Amino acid sequence: MPPGYFLISHPAMSILLEKHIVELLQERNEKAISLLYDHYGDTLYGVALKVVRDEDLAQDVVQESFVKIWKKSDTYDPSKAKLFTWLFRIIRNTAIDKLRSVQTKSDKEIQLDVSNVYNLGIDDIRPEFMDVRENLEKIEHKYQVVLEALFFQGMTQQEASDELDIPLGTIKSRLKIGLRELGKIYGSTLMMLILLILK
Amino acid sequence: MKDKIKIFLESDLLERYLLGATSAVETARVERYIVMYPDVRKQFEELQENLEIYAKMHAIPTPDGLKAKILQRIRKQDLGRRKVRRFAIAASIAAFLFAGSSYFFWNQNMNLQDENTMVNNRIQNLEADMKQQLEDVRNQFIVLNNPQTKKYLVNGNEKARELKAVAYVNPVKKLSYINVRNLPNLPEDKVYQMWAEVNGDMVNLGIIKSIEDKDKLLPLPYGKNAIGYITIEPMGGNPSPTVQNIVANISY
Repeated sequence: MPPGYFLISHPAMSILLEKHIVELLQERNEKAISLLYDHYGDTLYGVALKVVRDEDLAQDVVQESFVKIWKKSDTYDPSKAKLFTWLFRIIRNTAIDKLRSVQTKSDKEIQLDVSNVYNLGIDDIRPEFMDVRENLEKIEHKYQVVLEALFFQGMTQQEASDELDIPLGTIKSRLKIGLRELGKIYGSTLMMLILLILK
Repeated sequence: MKDKIKIFLESDLLERYLLGATSAVETARVERYIVMYPDVRKQFEELQENLEIYAKMHAIPTPDGLKAKILQRIRKQDLGRRKVRRFAIAASIAAFLFAGSSYFFWNQNMNLQDENTMVNNRIQNLEADMKQQLEDVRNQFIVLNNPQTKKYLVNGNEKARELKAVAYVNPVKKLSYINVRNLPNLPEDKVYQMWAEVNGDMVNLGIIKSIEDKDKLLPLPYGKNAIGYITIEPMGGNPSPTVQNIVANISY
């Protein structure tokens, strides 16, 4: 993993970076988009891919989202949400809309190509991301299912409860515990890597 | 209060807000709660952190060339926006000029309409006036030219020797006129006034304004054995004649 990737992920660093990007966005400086892409592009692309499950579509989603980010940059209010939360909302909603429009189109044309739509692009994954993937696998399956339904399939908690046939209360607790577990695993890996780099 | 927050946190509103899946009303409610209650704020902070961690776990390297494409699209869009803005400025200027000139022409049109109405009224008045005068002249001509019209010369009495007038009377048409040719000057506060006694009634014929009226034929009310008088009266005329100031009388 390139050192910069993790250093920038460090909370203090990311806060500084966030502030800088927000300033640039408010000045309508194109550099903001460049910085956003460098530091959040991979994550946003990953999210888009997770939702639409197609590389070409995911690229479209990322492109459209960045255009939206640029257009709506004056609507971002740092006092209301973190920059990433705002970005995530845009990419997720754009991806869900994209998926729906493609699905309607496919339904109409009756040419649903399952193998293409569900192409996850595992071969493309670079080794530096493998650690994270492994971490992800460490989370118990039951938490993962809930998190995926809520974050990537556009379900509400109620919908996830119905869909997965899990009581609403359990969905809520699994979401909370799942996210907490994530924090722990990710946090420890991060600390380890920072220690390694500093050594 | 605690219950309210508990119920709020147990609902999926905060999670849906995090993902941007709340309605405008729900969004306003969540934002209010976040501002008002530290517990909610803390929970939301945590959710945001976790979301970022969770999302980053799914990071996948972006394909080559995607960044360049995005930057290109944004530059193009900015250019378009600038063009639109320039167009908008030009359009507003054009609209402003159009509105200005429209108002100017409208105003001018209104003025011309007013003027037109005024001119039309004047023409109508003149026409009516002309018709009236022509009618008068025609009647006068009929009377004067009629063989049965009698002409009386009227001379002033000792009070106004220089007074000279001509009366025309046509018993067939039952029309009579008087033409005052000459009037002696009067003090500033006195005027000449004409009267006619018709069938025992004294009719006020008005003030003879000045000698400029000497080419005018003044109509006299017709009556058998009527008598016309000219008197000297105080300025402004008198409702009834002052008998001792009669300067001329005309029997016709």
